[in-house]
Amino acid sequence: MQAFTLLPALGQPSLASQLRALLTMARKEWTIFRRYPSWIMSFLIWPFIFPLGAIFTARALSGRDGSSLSAFALLAGTTDYVGFLVVGLAMYMWLNITLWDVGFQLRNEQMRGTLESNWLCPVWRFSIMLGPSLTKMATSTLFLVMAVFEYRLLFGIWVVGGNIGLVLLILLLVIPSIYGIGVAFGSLVIRFQEANTMVFLVRGIFMIFTGTSYPLAILPDWMQRVAAWLPLTYAIRAMRAVSLNGATLRDILPDLQMLALFALVIPLAGYWLFQFTERRARRTGSLGKY
Amino acid sequence: MIQTPPLAQITWRSHLRALRAIAKKDYYHFIRYPLNAIFRVVQPIIWLTPIYFLGQSFKTDAGNVGFANYAGTADYVSFILVGSMLSSYIGSVLWGMGYALKNEMDSGVLESNWLTPTPRFAFLVGQTVANILFTTLMNVGILGLGWLLFDFSITGNVLQALLVLLPMLLALYGFGFGFAAIVLLMREANTLIDVSDYLLSLFSGSMFPVQALPVVLLPIALALPLTYGFDAVRGILIKTTTLLPIPYEITILLLFMLIMVPTGYLIFRWVERRCQRLGTLGMH
Repeated sequence: MQAFTLLPALGQPSLASQLRALLTMARKEWTIFRRYPSWIMSFLIWPFIFPLGAIFTARALSGRDGSSLSAFALLAGTTDYVGFLVVGLAMYMWLNITLWDVGFQLRNEQMRGTLESNWLCPVWRFSIMLGPSLTKMATSTLFLVMAVFEYRLLFGIWVVGGNIGLVLLILLLVIPSIYGIGVAFGSLVIRFQEANTMVFLVRGIFMIFTGTSYPLAILPDWMQRVAAWLPLTYAIRAMRAVSLNGATLRDILPDLQMLALFALVIPLAGYWLFQFTERRARRTGSLGKY
Repeated sequence: MIQTPPLAQITWRSHLRALRAIAKKDYYHFIRYPLNAIFRVVQPIIWLTPIYFLGQSFKTDAGNVGFANYAGTADYVSFILVGSMLSSYIGSVLWGMGYALKNEMDSGVLESNWLTPTPRFAFLVGQTVANILFTTLMNVGILGLGWLLFDFSITGNVLQALLVLLPMLLALYGFGFGFAAIVLLMREANTLIDVSDYLLSLFSGSMFPVQALPVVLLPIALALPLTYGFDAVRGILIKTTTLLPIPYEITILLLFMLIMVPTGYLIFRWVERRCQRLGTLGMH
């Protein structure tokens, strides 16, 4: 008689099967990403062209003879408005990509009519959002790296020049916040069934309050108080200090502490919001609607 | 008994009916998502606020003197508001034509819609009608908010400015036809439209006077007829220093319109025939 080795069936939920589901979702996203080669254009062109609008506006505002530059330097602590803008806008672009990518994850499934059926699979539902986010994290990191080299080549600004270790530390501390915001945002999109508007609103709030393209000191007090609640404010300030003014760990420690705090709180809040949305969607049967 | 042509008979009235039906469909889509409708007015303010604060951070005791060197006016808020309004029409046409086409591809209805005896231009133009109307309403809202929040003011003749806007808009439609052809070929719209919309707005000087561009980039701005449209409208409305005398700029816009509309449509028809031959209309 033949002896059979009992292996867990593929359909049986286990840690390995959850991991398989996660990786499958990540691979699916990678296949879609490669299918539309216009991402190459997007990755090459956007980091370069996006800051141009603000840079040329700043150039026009400073005047032919640079007569208004002193006013800017007084507030920003540097006359290098190109470097100042490039650092702020690179961080903003990163957040923007995450909002579109992670935020649209569930919405795209909802639009294609596959969200409900995917959620019936015996897998950890969060992996439906997390799996593709892993791919998106890899692609957005590639975007950032390309941006850094483009700024070096085209604007002569070496963003990581001050202290590469500190720059990486800032990025590492801000990643959980950015993806936490992305997850929370993706859940809200499912709730309100409207993604574009939500992206514009959330990224708009960050653009206005975090000083991406101007010194925070110019903002009225109430706006500065709002800025203090946003992780990107600290990341941009620390990044500018390191890249443009050669700040040390001690100089940016308060900003790093705040980033660490946000890194703990925001992902948890994002996950809680995801679970809340999931329960609500099941109760109201709104998953299949769009 | 009065003989009326049957509904299926192709006439100019049937084309107009199709155009209206497409615009009505877009209107339903628009009001179905009320957040979107409200946000269309708020969105430009979100874009303008950082530019406003950027301008404030360059302000000296004597005002925005640096900016006045280039533009002939220190009122950079009005300068940018007018630019933002005009560039919203670029977006309307490009997104209206290109993105709507891509949406129909994704929903799988492009092929079946195109089997109806409605001319293609009615599909393309129809998809922008609602968008242009919403953009115009949105611009009125922006002007109101700009007046309330940023002291926006107009000193020139609005009617004259609208007359300049008309050929610019028609020429944009020509550009939009050609653009829709590219979307048909590439079957991708987002990046294409985003980049084109941004670059066109950037180099036409929607955010700053093109004279502030580095010498190597200035020829690109000067080669774009839209630059003269932006420049002429600003010259009329807020009395900025124009690149050329305003009548010359209007002539350039009229020529642009006469060339762009037929050229764009011919390119679209050529690409459409190619897609029909290859059978790629149903793909996305």
